[in-house]
Amino acid sequence: MFRKILVANRGEIALRVIRTLREMSIRSVAVYSDADRAALHVRKADEAAHIGPAASSESYLDIDRVLDAARRHGVDAIHPGYGFLSENAPFAQACEDAGFTFIGPSAKSIGMMGSKTAARRVAKDGGAPIVPGTDEGIERAHELGFPVMLKAVAGGGGKGMRRVDRREDLAAAYESASSEALRAFGDGRIYAEKLIENARHIEIQVLGDRHGNLLHLGERECSVQRRHQKVIEESPSPLVAPKPEMRARMGEAAVKAARAAGYFNAGTVEFLADNDGNYYFLEMNTRLQVEHPVTELVTGLDLVRLQIEIAAGGRLPFTQDQIALRGAAVECRIYAEDPANNFFPSPGRITQLAEPSGPGVRVDSGIYAGWNVPLEYDPMLAKLIVWADTRGHAIERMLRALGEYHIAGIQSNIPLFEAILNDAQFRAGNLHTGYLDELLKKPIDFKGAPAPELAAVAALLAGKMTGPQEPPAVVSGASNWLTAGRAEQLR
Amino acid sequence: MKRVIRIDGETVEPAAGSVIETEPGVWSAIVDGASYEARVAGDEITINGRRFHFEIDDPRRWTRRQGVAGAQGRATVHASMPGKVVRLLVAMDAEVTAGQAVVVVEAMKMQNELKAPRAGRVAKIHVKENDSVTAGTVLLVIE
Repeated sequence: MFRKILVANRGEIALRVIRTLREMSIRSVAVYSDADRAALHVRKADEAAHIGPAASSESYLDIDRVLDAARRHGVDAIHPGYGFLSENAPFAQACEDAGFTFIGPSAKSIGMMGSKTAARRVAKDGGAPIVPGTDEGIERAHELGFPVMLKAVAGGGGKGMRRVDRREDLAAAYESASSEALRAFGDGRIYAEKLIENARHIEIQVLGDRHGNLLHLGERECSVQRRHQKVIEESPSPLVAPKPEMRARMGEAAVKAARAAGYFNAGTVEFLADNDGNYYFLEMNTRLQVEHPVTELVTGLDLVRLQIEIAAGGRLPFTQDQIALRGAAVECRIYAEDPANNFFPSPGRITQLAEPSGPGVRVDSGIYAGWNVPLEYDPMLAKLIVWADTRGHAIERMLRALGEYHIAGIQSNIPLFEAILNDAQFRAGNLHTGYLDELLKKPIDFKGAPAPELAAVAALLAGKMTGPQEPPAVVSGASNWLTAGRAEQLR
Repeated sequence: MKRVIRIDGETVEPAAGSVIETEPGVWSAIVDGASYEARVAGDEITINGRRFHFEIDDPRRWTRRQGVAGAQGRATVHASMPGKVVRLLVAMDAEVTAGQAVVVVEAMKMQNELKAPRAGRVAKIHVKENDSVTAGTVLLVIE
């Protein structure tokens, strides 16, 4: 087993990996940029290495600097987390070449699945149904029938994606998608897929060892999305839960696709599904997902521990028929953004923090009171995950936990989750990827109904204030447009 | 003179009850047997997830209205966008007049003179020359 592992990431996921390393008595090495000297993952690691300036291109995305830190600290292996270098095939190869085990799949598998069009061919050859589409370019896109979705070949995270409803809009959408993809991935190639309307996003967690054993850990439903970014994830899917045969078929399709790519370690096969139970391969993510905790809670497994054991050459300690999903888990991604103000990013200093706890509550967080949320990186602050015996109870538990969450100094999207979790359509499990956009078209009163007795209590408290309280860290007059624009350029 | 308390801009008669600060910024109120946990930050009170803005008018004391050219209370000078402090134009304890330039911040490749929102004394300087600042960073406090 490894003695020391470098975590090539930051924020909540770096901390989440460090926690498992501590449980396994493996020393952890955090890396940090100038913006992250005071970050929580640095405080909690056994060792820490500075890897450069705030801009991620010169720190968390710089392969040479990360490998240099690994050498200086004498690690055995590198865990990439998600984002940054996690799906970078040259990085996985460079780790192995430098003598460090990359905790993830082979560079070859990452490369195969990194091209969305190549992944579609692999999945198709493996027998998984795929969404009709072009191999590359848009010359034949109109033959698919409108609407179509343009996607980046190197894509991910919603970048370079455009919905096109009419043939005359195709060329303009192609140009803008291609330039966005070029900026985000350094690769402007675009392909087209038939758009499946009102589809659900359902993904299968797969896990394989280096001895050819591959299995799946059931599904997650991630249909609640805003601008192609997941907002709430849950396991099991309310669509699949009553249909065990659908889970078995999707799981088998996912395992086949992974096998065709020679896959080992943890990965996720994403599908689009309709309410009739049809499903189509979308893409494979060759890393640990942001939303992996919901799978952990319903299976009782620690996916990071399994990743490390697999990377060390271990065999899967169970078989497919030993995997059972129990209860229901829901995750909310807590972001520094203001839902009452068009989701403006809200970086700045956190002046107060109270995190929820109690039965069935898990908080994977990268923040603390006094932490200054940097504008250079993704504004996700934490993930709040709950487990309960049924989906209904999990939703009630999540609302209770959100009520205990208090983040002051910056805005967060907590009020958005309260609106979604109280929505009848969400509660009925009647979801699709356009669900949240439709919900947000209706006016939502994020502040809640005025309560006269609360105002009187507030006045009672205000009367006790004897001096100025610390001024809030972010003054409302600040231009969040400028802040966001600057952050986008640095990213 | 009686203090007037405004909640979200409306004058509100305070409830009668027991109030204690249980940990820094976290208060407990018991009113008519009902228990409330409240958090106070700046000029905001959060109770049961509902956020209230409060103001107190009391000529004998400070006022919470910040950033306006009033004659009393504290006022802050803050960066309105990310940038770098180029020059501090005043020192600690200096007396300033309303509208006097106090600090120069370079942002978006332009130098901006930030001015004192009101007359007073420089009570705190939170930055040095060449510091990078984020949007909203409090640079100076004037009392």
